[in-house]
Amino acid sequence: MERSRLLSLAHLWAAFLCFLPATGLGLWQLLMRSPLPVPVDDPNAYYASLTAHGSIMAYVFPTLFIMGFGYAIAVSALGRPLRGENWAWAGFVLCVVGSLMALAPIAGGRSSILYTFYPPMVGNVWYYLGVAVVIIGSYFWVALMLINFAAWKRENPGKPVPLAMFAITTCALLWGWTALGATSEVVFQILPVSLGWRHTIDAGLARTLFSMTLHAIVYFWLIPAYVAFYTLMPQAAGGRLYSDTMGRIAFVLFLVFSIPVGMHHLFMDPEHGSGFKFVHSLLTFIVALPTLLTVFTITATLEIAGRARGGKGLLGWIRALPWNEPMVLSVALALLLLAPGGFGGLINMSYAMNAMIHNTSWVTAHFHLIFGGVVVIMYMAIGYELWPRLTGRPLITKRAACVQLWLWFWGMLIMTVPWHIAGLMGQPRRYAIFDYTDPGVAKMAWLDILSVVGGVILVCSAALFFYVLARSSLASAAESISPIRYALAVNPPARVHPLLNGFMFWNVLLLALVLITYGYPVGQFFFLHNQDAPEHSLTREMKR
Amino acid sequence: MSAGNGSGRSWGFFAVAMLTGVVALSFGFGFVLLPKYQGTQGPYSAKDSLYHALGLHTHGKELGSVQPPLKVPTYIVWTDATIRQAMGGDAKRGEFIALNCNACHVEQAKSTEPWIPILAGLDRLVTYKQLDDFRSGTRLSGPMSAIAQSLTPQDYADVAAYYASQPGMPENTGERMPHSHRTYRNPDPLQRLIFAGDPKRGIAACASCHGPGGYLIGAPALTNQNAAYLGQQLQAFAQGTRANDMNMPMRTIARLLTPEEMKSLASAYAKGLAELQ
Repeated sequence: MERSRLLSLAHLWAAFLCFLPATGLGLWQLLMRSPLPVPVDDPNAYYASLTAHGSIMAYVFPTLFIMGFGYAIAVSALGRPLRGENWAWAGFVLCVVGSLMALAPIAGGRSSILYTFYPPMVGNVWYYLGVAVVIIGSYFWVALMLINFAAWKRENPGKPVPLAMFAITTCALLWGWTALGATSEVVFQILPVSLGWRHTIDAGLARTLFSMTLHAIVYFWLIPAYVAFYTLMPQAAGGRLYSDTMGRIAFVLFLVFSIPVGMHHLFMDPEHGSGFKFVHSLLTFIVALPTLLTVFTITATLEIAGRARGGKGLLGWIRALPWNEPMVLSVALALLLLAPGGFGGLINMSYAMNAMIHNTSWVTAHFHLIFGGVVVIMYMAIGYELWPRLTGRPLITKRAACVQLWLWFWGMLIMTVPWHIAGLMGQPRRYAIFDYTDPGVAKMAWLDILSVVGGVILVCSAALFFYVLARSSLASAAESISPIRYALAVNPPARVHPLLNGFMFWNVLLLALVLITYGYPVGQFFFLHNQDAPEHSLTREMKR
Repeated sequence: MSAGNGSGRSWGFFAVAMLTGVVALSFGFGFVLLPKYQGTQGPYSAKDSLYHALGLHTHGKELGSVQPPLKVPTYIVWTDATIRQAMGGDAKRGEFIALNCNACHVEQAKSTEPWIPILAGLDRLVTYKQLDDFRSGTRLSGPMSAIAQSLTPQDYADVAAYYASQPGMPENTGERMPHSHRTYRNPDPLQRLIFAGDPKRGIAACASCHGPGGYLIGAPALTNQNAAYLGQQLQAFAQGTRANDMNMPMRTIARLLTPEEMKSLASAYAKGLAELQ
């Protein structure tokens, strides 16, 4: 058990060690786009920084965090040592090595292609190899989650797999499936160009393959937050989970519907017809269902806890909740951020409304609100929840943790709300610099300055988060720390429906759905179009 | 492993039926209802709309729209084959061919006549494309058109390889090391133009394609080039007498520049931007 705790801890430390400097880069980028003075004002540096910020925040940080959290769940929820622990360490080493491989060319300014690759832009080959190695490392984790899941089921026939393990295995499966899109883009399209074997690339096909990953990756990030909603929060609030079945249904829906919706990122792309864009648009609305189910279940769970603590009346239970518990506070703050974030998402996924906000700052603001807000605030809370269990030392202090979470909440709101508005005013995204002497741009100046204020608060919050974890790690060992206990449902299931205790059925459905919704959009490139674009090597990598 | 009440199969059936319903609904809307609705609006027929839904673009042909006459700025398309050919020259052979060029572009290709461009160190793809444009007449020059027509594409690649290997103009590596003051915060209007452009007039930054700080396939490095040549080309682009820029970035930008700006840009690049760094 001791080694497996170290395993999780290593993953979480690595994740948070990347996270802190990446928030600093984010603040510098906000400053660059604002009218305020900024050190080293060079657009090239901006794009290098943006690539680093995105690659860390989208790939390295969440992947390492989720892997660490997954191992912790596998050990604690299943109550048995992790099978294949050496393989888990190997996966960790691959992820760290891959991250360094990817970050070195970015730091050297030779891969400023932004983290979403955007072919025909082509960067240094080590960047792509690094990302590929991180994905391979994460596949070790996917395999181990499935192996541990299956082993427990074999040893406990007929028993329901604990909800936390069921959910994190959904997460692993989802990642296993969805990473195939970006992986095939990198392996079959980008690497041959980056290695100099080819000089042109079909950007339309590359974008389509990437869209298979681009949306579902958000649910890969989000599911661990939902795991905390369903299994960690009720315990911390002093109550029980409203429904275990509802949770299983939500996670299964995420697995089935996350991937065949990705083309809503391609609404403005000319290489696809309107038919499949509409199909993906409609299916994206289905993905909102598990979130609505979750919001309902979690609110009901909070009410159960509040009433169990003596809360009375229509809303009195809210006051009775333990708001000094980081886990409870973070869930409430996450739900508050989810409301505007989800609303914005509905606009993005609507085929017609998307045109208004396409390529504007609105989109950047939206995914910061959802990922940086809802997801990261829950990662922080999970960090606080796991830390004493992993280090054997008490959290110093819960009060500081709550202050940190509040700072993150307000920082995220102050940063993203003006950012959304600037987007609606037409501010383009991915721009390094704006000419504020232009009257059309000048009216957005105050919004950009407000976003910088939000960014400063976020960096302070990230530093405080780091301080609390570091300070707690150095504290003297506690005499006893209760192990992680996962929430019991109001009606704990003695048995669950076999469809909600395994994945084979859902995998088949998912595969069918992906073939139906992506078969033609990907296949058409091989018989309809020949749209190879010349590579745009941002730096001169071709030999003279 | 059954659910205990024998409903395992029926719930599975229920899930599949719901999913099928959702998929059928979305396809019905996307491929039948919307195309039909669009078919009643504007000039689209139902068939056009269905083609549109499938991404089978007809590029206006089906609509009987008038196609504008084709104007070709260059016959070079950067396909894999073209890039391979342009990059695959033999510098030794190119040196022999370049004996003819050196009458004007002088020995070692460091021309002293200020209206004749320096070729030493020029990117292979640039030399290759310009020679082909001279051949096809999309770039006009009496002597160069005649010379280019007497050469083969392999000769272009060889000459390009030779000049690229010569020391002269610095290679445009798209250098990415950060420098301060490359934004609108810079008080010097010339530096702003070079490194940040002027969006109010729709002018992109010179440096983003011509370096330093950027590299675009087929765009020449300008640092250390002859000032008179650069100024002359900017004017030619502005007046449309040179029109071999694909997608016309240079014709668009040059038209927006003032004569003073052209002059100072040309001399700044000719001096190697040294005083700007």
